Amino acid sequence: MAKLLVVDDEQDIRDFAKSFFQKRNINVITASGGAEALELIEKEKPDLVLLDIHMEEMSGVEVLKQLRQNKNDIKVIMVTGVEEESIVNEANSWGIRGYIHKPLVLEELEKIVIGELGTKRS
Amino acid sequence: MWMCLVAISHIHLFREYFRSEGIRRNQILYLFIGSVVGFSGGITNFMVAYSQPVYPSGNFTIPIYSLIVTYAILKYRLLDITVAITRTGIFLAVYSVVLGLPFALAFGAQKYLIKIYDLNWWIIPLGSSTILATVGPYIYLFIQKKAEDRLLQEQRQYQATLRKASLGMGQIKDLKRLLSLIVHVVTKAVRIEHCKIFLYHEASNRFVLKAAKNKRLEEVKLNVVDANNVLITTLVKTKEPIVYQEIKQQKTDYFEDKNLYELEKLLTLLDAELVVPSFIEQTLIAFIVLGKKYSGKMYTQDDLVVFSILASQSALAIENAMFHEETKRTHEQLFKAEKMATIGTMADGLSHQINNRLHAMGFIAGDALDTLRRFKDKPVPADAKEVLDNIQNALERIEENVKRGGEIVQGLLTYTRKGEEGFVSVDLDKLLDASIEMAAFKIKTKEIDFHRHFDSQTPKVRGNFTQLQEVLFNVIDNSYDAIMQRKSELGERGYRGVIDIAANTNGTKLELVIRDNGMGVKDENKNKIFTPFFTTKLSSKKGTGLGMYVIKKIIEENHRGKVEFTSQYKVGSQTKLLLPLHNPDFKDFSQKT
Repeated sequence: MAKLLVVDDEQDIRDFAKSFFQKRNINVITASGGAEALELIEKEKPDLVLLDIHMEEMSGVEVLKQLRQNKNDIKVIMVTGVEEESIVNEANSWGIRGYIHKPLVLEELEKIVIGELGTKRS
Repeated sequence: MWMCLVAISHIHLFREYFRSEGIRRNQILYLFIGSVVGFSGGITNFMVAYSQPVYPSGNFTIPIYSLIVTYAILKYRLLDITVAITRTGIFLAVYSVVLGLPFALAFGAQKYLIKIYDLNWWIIPLGSSTILATVGPYIYLFIQKKAEDRLLQEQRQYQATLRKASLGMGQIKDLKRLLSLIVHVVTKAVRIEHCKIFLYHEASNRFVLKAAKNKRLEEVKLNVVDANNVLITTLVKTKEPIVYQEIKQQKTDYFEDKNLYELEKLLTLLDAELVVPSFIEQTLIAFIVLGKKYSGKMYTQDDLVVFSILASQSALAIENAMFHEETKRTHEQLFKAEKMATIGTMADGLSHQINNRLHAMGFIAGDALDTLRRFKDKPVPADAKEVLDNIQNALERIEENVKRGGEIVQGLLTYTRKGEEGFVSVDLDKLLDASIEMAAFKIKTKEIDFHRHFDSQTPKVRGNFTQLQEVLFNVIDNSYDAIMQRKSELGERGYRGVIDIAANTNGTKLELVIRDNGMGVKDENKNKIFTPFFTTKLSSKKGTGLGMYVIKKIIEENHRGKVEFTSQYKVGSQTKLLLPLHNPDFKDFSQKT
């Protein structure tokens, strides 16, 4: 079963994303912050990370940076809000599959996530 | 001694003749001729006094002197006639006593004096004439002052008022108030029919009526005067007040001078009795138009001196007020920009929050909707089905509103900050078309040729379409103005404005070069080109001085690009824009195709 990690510091987002993707036979794990996310990636080795760029404790870009510095080339999709272009550009420079703007409609997110997970999904 | 005084006076007069010019020079010439004739005739009187057997036959020249001087007054300065008459009267009275007394003594009292002083009798008349000749001028000056004080009491009073008023003017910073104060003070103090102030307006190169007293604005026949009008050129040339009566007089003397006719016509239109110029250094910045005095009296030389002082004080005050208003305007514009920046920062934080709420709502509604859709396949009672339909509809509406709300937030950000929102791959051809289309609202695009030196294979750039459109619009607009300026200023035959647009890849950037064959920018202005509020466009209405500043901001801050501007005066200008290329490997999932 494909494994998706949702990283967001908002409880609602984590809960409903989990509920939504689990109905599609995707194993969803969640992290409420950067440190927890790094730990879970190490331990659970998800296939795709949905990473919020704007988080209080540690930003999405920082998480990404640490991953890449540890030679982890896990697939990442950035969820961006109203960030400055420079921030998005920095994320881009660390290698991401793409980014998607908040607020988003779940049906659209579904297409992207499924597209990225591809055949991994069973 | 008397001879010495006369000689010294004449030397002074002669010197003054060379120093003065215009009307005054002619006046002095007449006075000089008149007094030479008069005094040389008068000298014959003394011959008798010194017992020379010469009849005072020169006396008849004295009235000629008066006649010549009177003619000069009438011809060249009508203004001072009352003063002149008074002065002449006093002069005659004083000197008939000063000179008459010794004569009276010499002739009338000769017998008595000889009885008392014997052969030395002549000491008395000679001595008294010496004393009287010495004190004479003082007596004359004293009486003259007293008389003039009386005669010009009213005038002196208002002159004092005007002097005082002109000193206080520098304190007023509000231009409109200052101008109405000037016209108010002048009309009140001098008691004239009306007073108006015309101020130079740079953009239109005209003098425009800015304040009027005792004359309703709709009654004014003429409220703008072109800067190359004869009135202005005359004021600039002479730097002296223009007196209507004098122009009228001169017109009959120099009837071949067409300018005088035109000037008289204009003064009549302005209803002007007197026009006083206001200079700042060598520049005429305003002029004051004065109507007739209620008393019917004419303006005197003293009046002109006072008005000239008032006018130059006014000029300083006006310049001061104008500078103050200009500074205020600049400050307001900067403040507005600052305010926008503050709103931008606030909008930034707020939109983050709103966006996150919308995002969560979208997730909640989306997931609920998903659950509902799955459940609907199962058989449910009819009434429950209706409820589920209603809920589904409500959730779909929420999703719809989340989308709309998101768009509004993004829209807000594209206005208040550069943001990366709305960054798409931009096709150069489409961008150029849109920019020219936008420019067509302001300029006549048919009057110039656009040459595109790039093909359809040119890679796309990454940027905000609307912002880039504004950049190109500004560049095209600048080029158009430069082309029109060259057309009108150089007047070359067969000249046609061309804007060349070329594009080349340069590493990860696209180099976009827009070149025109317009007027170009002078060397001394090149380094100021990106300064906000700086414009070289002739009419300030056309140029805000923000165009190049906006271009630089959009390209360098928002797009991490670069702007280079090169120009050669009378040859043309070139704007080079370096823009990031669109990277097709980098997917933006938000982009719907």
